Amino acid sequence: MEFLELINFYVIPGIVLGSIYALGAVGITLIFAILRYAHLAHGDLATLGAFIALAVVTGLGVSPLLALPIAIIATAAVAVGIDKVFYEHLRERPKIVTVMASLGIALMIRAVVQVVWGVDTETYSRGIVRPENYFGLRIRDREILTFIAMIVLVGGLQLFLTRSKWGKAMRAMSDNPNLALLSGIDNKKVVMLTWIIAGGLCAASGVFLGLNTELKSMMGWQMLLPMFAAAILGGVGRIEGAVLGGLIVGIAEELSVLVIPSEYKAAMAFAILLFMLLVRPTGLLKGKVL
Amino acid sequence: MTALLSMEGITGGYGDADILEDVSLHVDPDEIVVIVGPNGAGKSTAMKSVFGLLTIRAGRMLFDGDDITVWAPNRIVQRGICYVPQVDNIFREMSIHENLEMGGFLKKGDLSAAYDRVYTLFPDLKERRKTLAGSLSGGQRQMVAMGRALMLDPKLLLLDEPTAGLSPKYMEQIFQICRDVRDTGVAILLVEQHAKQALAFADRGYVLAAGKNRHEGSGADLLADREVAEMFLGG
Repeated sequence: MEFLELINFYVIPGIVLGSIYALGAVGITLIFAILRYAHLAHGDLATLGAFIALAVVTGLGVSPLLALPIAIIATAAVAVGIDKVFYEHLRERPKIVTVMASLGIALMIRAVVQVVWGVDTETYSRGIVRPENYFGLRIRDREILTFIAMIVLVGGLQLFLTRSKWGKAMRAMSDNPNLALLSGIDNKKVVMLTWIIAGGLCAASGVFLGLNTELKSMMGWQMLLPMFAAAILGGVGRIEGAVLGGLIVGIAEELSVLVIPSEYKAAMAFAILLFMLLVRPTGLLKGKVL
Repeated sequence: MTALLSMEGITGGYGDADILEDVSLHVDPDEIVVIVGPNGAGKSTAMKSVFGLLTIRAGRMLFDGDDITVWAPNRIVQRGICYVPQVDNIFREMSIHENLEMGGFLKKGDLSAAYDRVYTLFPDLKERRKTLAGSLSGGQRQMVAMGRALMLDPKLLLLDEPTAGLSPKYMEQIFQICRDVRDTGVAILLVEQHAKQALAFADRGYVLAAGKNRHEGSGADLLADREVAEMFLGG
């Protein structure tokens, strides 16, 4: 096979898919680092974000990109609300209780999406978009947009975590929760910030998946495993690791089609997840061990 | 002179079991007070009781005119007591400077005076302010931990075994820093396992055994006390 063909048909779609996974994986890794549990409703929260954007696109007649900020804010608010109504009451219980509760939340969110928007496949815009040709590289505008948006959002988060007082407080809480409390850092505010960020990134992940493929009520749930694989591959608690992990899982999934039937594409993420947990549970960038 | 901190007949522990039984002690302003005693005597527990980290069933805790017996830790921090735990007392994945910044988290406005104070006490830290705290040696970590606690300008500093696991050279350095800190007007209450050295350097000491007060006095008096020597100091 020709090199350009490999890039055009496998690597570029892999990077786009990987960017979408990365947006979700960053939230998963952040929740792991600060709240110390696996949040299984992460995928369905992304679905909700995608459909909220759809409502804005069809309701106001604007482009998905303009709908994105609204979807981010709305989904962040939903995430904070879910935490207040459900997870907050389970904080003192064993973590597995919250993990199971988040599975229930996932089903609830999906049910709401199915009741409001139905179970049919939807799209933000009809018609086929032809890729532009850049010296033989065939890339669609929305693909460039997805990648750039991911870099901007994650880069912004990284700046927030390293430069701002509350960002540093989040890192402190992840690093040493007891000492953070002894320093007088308000645990509740840090938790709320975590949900605002994770919820917002979830919405972005869902909107870009919808933009590059189509909207289905199961779209987020099907992303959950690859997003977890990405977070663990990169190293739990590592933002840049989640991005790296997301890109690797996305590209690996696309490339796997060359050797295994495409129906088994999703098994690739599972294989990466298992392999990392067995061989190097701290991930590529040395994160926490769960 | 009225005591800065006075612990009056404290009985309490974690959950249902009482570890401390009727423990009383006080710390005056500008004073270094050490608690010594055999392992399991409740030394660290006595210190944690000041900070509202255990269930107190009897007695009361007075600090600078307030009854702080049932206060939450963050309120106690704001009132002027900072606590340095024995282990896990730094943010490993943050730089020295960020550790200090987190120490001053509750302070409103400019922190530069507080940074100056801490960096004057620990010049070594200033040179390495961008270094990750987790990559430092044990003695330097202890300095970061103390620096973090000093950022809020406390009136009283609680140190839980600050010299545990340190070489004699660093132990001497930590003690010297404690004196320097006291000379800036901060009282210190510390728990020590190196009883001899600690009693020699502290202004006053308490000997705790099996969760009860056994002896108290100036460091020199306690060192000279035959019973104390036989019980805890290995003759």
